[in-house]
Amino acid sequence: MNIYIYTIRRLLYVIPVLLGVCFIIFFLFNVVSPDPARMMLDKHATVKQIAEMRHELGLDRPFFMQYLDVVKSAFTFNFGRSWSTRQEISEMIMDGAIPSLSLSFPAFFLATLISICISLFVSFFRGKVIDRLAVIFCVGMMSVSSLAYILFGQWFLAYHMGLFEISGYEFGFPFFIPYVILPIIIWIILSIGPDVRFYRTVILDEIYQDYVRTARAKGLSEIVILFKHVLKNAMIPIITYVVIRIPFLILGALLLESFFSIPGLGGITLDAVKSSDFPVLKAMTVLSSIAYITFSVITDVLYTVVDPRVRLK
Amino acid sequence: MGEKILEVTDLKVEFNTDQGRINAVKGVSFDVYKGKTLGIVGESGSGKSVSALSIMRLIPDPPGRIVGGKALFKGQDLLQIPMNKMRNIRGNKIAMIFQEPMTSLNPVFTCGSQIEEVLAIHQMQLTKQQRKNKAVELLDLVGIPAPEKRIKEYPHQLSGGMRQRVMIAMSLACEPDILIADEPTTALDVTIQAQILELMHSLQKELGMGLIMITHDLGVVAEVCDDVSVMYCGKIVEAADVRTLFTRPKHPYTKGLINSIPSYDATDEGEKERLQTIRGMVPSLFDLPTGCSFQDRCDFASDKCRGFDGNPILKKIADGHEVSCWHPLSN
Ligand SMILES: Nc1ncnc2c1ncn2[C@@H]1O[C@H](COP(=O)(O)OP(=O)(O)OP(=O)(O)O)[C@@H](O)[C@H]1O
Ligand SMILES: [Mg+2]
Repeated sequence: MNIYIYTIRRLLYVIPVLLGVCFIIFFLFNVVSPDPARMMLDKHATVKQIAEMRHELGLDRPFFMQYLDVVKSAFTFNFGRSWSTRQEISEMIMDGAIPSLSLSFPAFFLATLISICISLFVSFFRGKVIDRLAVIFCVGMMSVSSLAYILFGQWFLAYHMGLFEISGYEFGFPFFIPYVILPIIIWIILSIGPDVRFYRTVILDEIYQDYVRTARAKGLSEIVILFKHVLKNAMIPIITYVVIRIPFLILGALLLESFFSIPGLGGITLDAVKSSDFPVLKAMTVLSSIAYITFSVITDVLYTVVDPRVRLK
Repeated sequence: MGEKILEVTDLKVEFNTDQGRINAVKGVSFDVYKGKTLGIVGESGSGKSVSALSIMRLIPDPPGRIVGGKALFKGQDLLQIPMNKMRNIRGNKIAMIFQEPMTSLNPVFTCGSQIEEVLAIHQMQLTKQQRKNKAVELLDLVGIPAPEKRIKEYPHQLSGGMRQRVMIAMSLACEPDILIADEPTTALDVTIQAQILELMHSLQKELGMGLIMITHDLGVVAEVCDDVSVMYCGKIVEAADVRTLFTRPKHPYTKGLINSIPSYDATDEGEKERLQTIRGMVPSLFDLPTGCSFQDRCDFASDKCRGFDGNPILKKIADGHEVSCWHPLSN
């Protein structure tokens, strides 16, 4: 079977999965959650007021119709209006996505690239001093709280040395760049420890395989062996590790966004939690589920590209 | 004798493991001649693979280390030359086939591309198309049917025997002076074993390479080798040409190995001759007995063999026949 047909089939499987996910979301938000109408009105509201509120929110309609609303929103990205700000939710999300992605995508991409390169480098010196030091360094970096890096960066690098903006955000290219550099650097520093440890293990698993010895016996250089033979074999675990984290980038980096006052999706989600803004929370849940499903399809398709042993069926 | 193309002298290799240091190879010497096959025989763990890998400088370091010896090839010591020179020799002048056909090819590249890769690094004058044609020719040479189709296949689509043929094709790509075959047939079924041996034997005659055939099977030795070195616990205990070794073995270990080859002809009325085995087991390299390593399994061991200076050295007892034993058999 060829890879396009495989991809299309894999995408068709998404439909039932998405319907199921929508059902779970509907069940959590519309069936088992406390009555939002009551939460929005104060304790002394009359029965009539509550009924009116429920009608206004569409909560008096049959469950099936409410479920269909969730499904519809998943396909049209029309999530209605926020209860607290009355804004169109899809607009809110679009506005939040720009700052979020301008931070998280470059940061994630660079962190992944740098970590893989460092891992290949230390794997080259496996068992030697450089490798041991790198592992100790990684554990050391992981043991320091992320707050320490953030505070040090903001206080020393941004405030004291004046190298970066301390916090805030400006829309539009290239104005946003000064605001995201420091959070990106901190993101990379936070990721390098766990990432290098993971990639190094994956690469070392491959480096002792027989085919590596064959490659050496052919007269290939160590660099070619690492970057061609080993890396391609290590791709399956690496792809899994990388791609499956991308959906979480869409939710935004809560901690970094709030410390650096970046008006991203992380902030929107937090505000929605604080004010029980159900439609916004529902929208974020639907979106992150869709992202998750999409990226698992991408992972599966990539598997078949990198590893001929993965059967297309 | 023909032209000597590889001269290994007093090779010593050790491994530093968690349980202590192992002297896996303790002063091994052998010569390889153009167009001839040298067999290296011995039980599992006797240091055959380690010796072979050392010549290619493929010992994993750490834990392994070549601590002494020489391997003279075309006037240069393979154990001393810088790595970039070594890489020029690997796969080009000296090629190697491994014990594990199932895992020795890279699973994510096609067989064709893995063969072409050798040509790409050692024969840079070839164009991409020429490399491809050569890969097809090589697969044809090693007896793989429909080679144009096979070059596009991945290793998992081939059987063990086919994979070993691909390995052979790869090793022959640059027409090496020496081919080291480390138990090339051990992992294959008997019928395939015979085919692969036959193939290697005829290719060797055709290309005039020196072949080092590592095996634990004296049957294989009898079929394809010209000279034999018998290894035991990291040392060569006997070396001779095939005829001499089989007709006049001097070391009790060699004799034991020969006796443990199954044979059906010397029996009466279809009754199978009982196989003779060498009693006991190979001692652990961590606690070898003082003196000769073979003493506990030997019927002739004396106090001398068990003494502090009891470790026998390889001595010439006839032209082209060496043995390391205090009490060589008389036959
Ligand atoms: N990577 C390694 N780490 C530690 N010890 C090793 C390593 N490779 C080999 N050795 C030691 O060297 C000794 C010789 O091993 P070698 O692989 O040469 O045996 P062999 O004669 O090829 O046996 P077989 O017939 O099983 O292939 C073994 O006893 C083993 O303990
Ligand atoms: Mg071996």
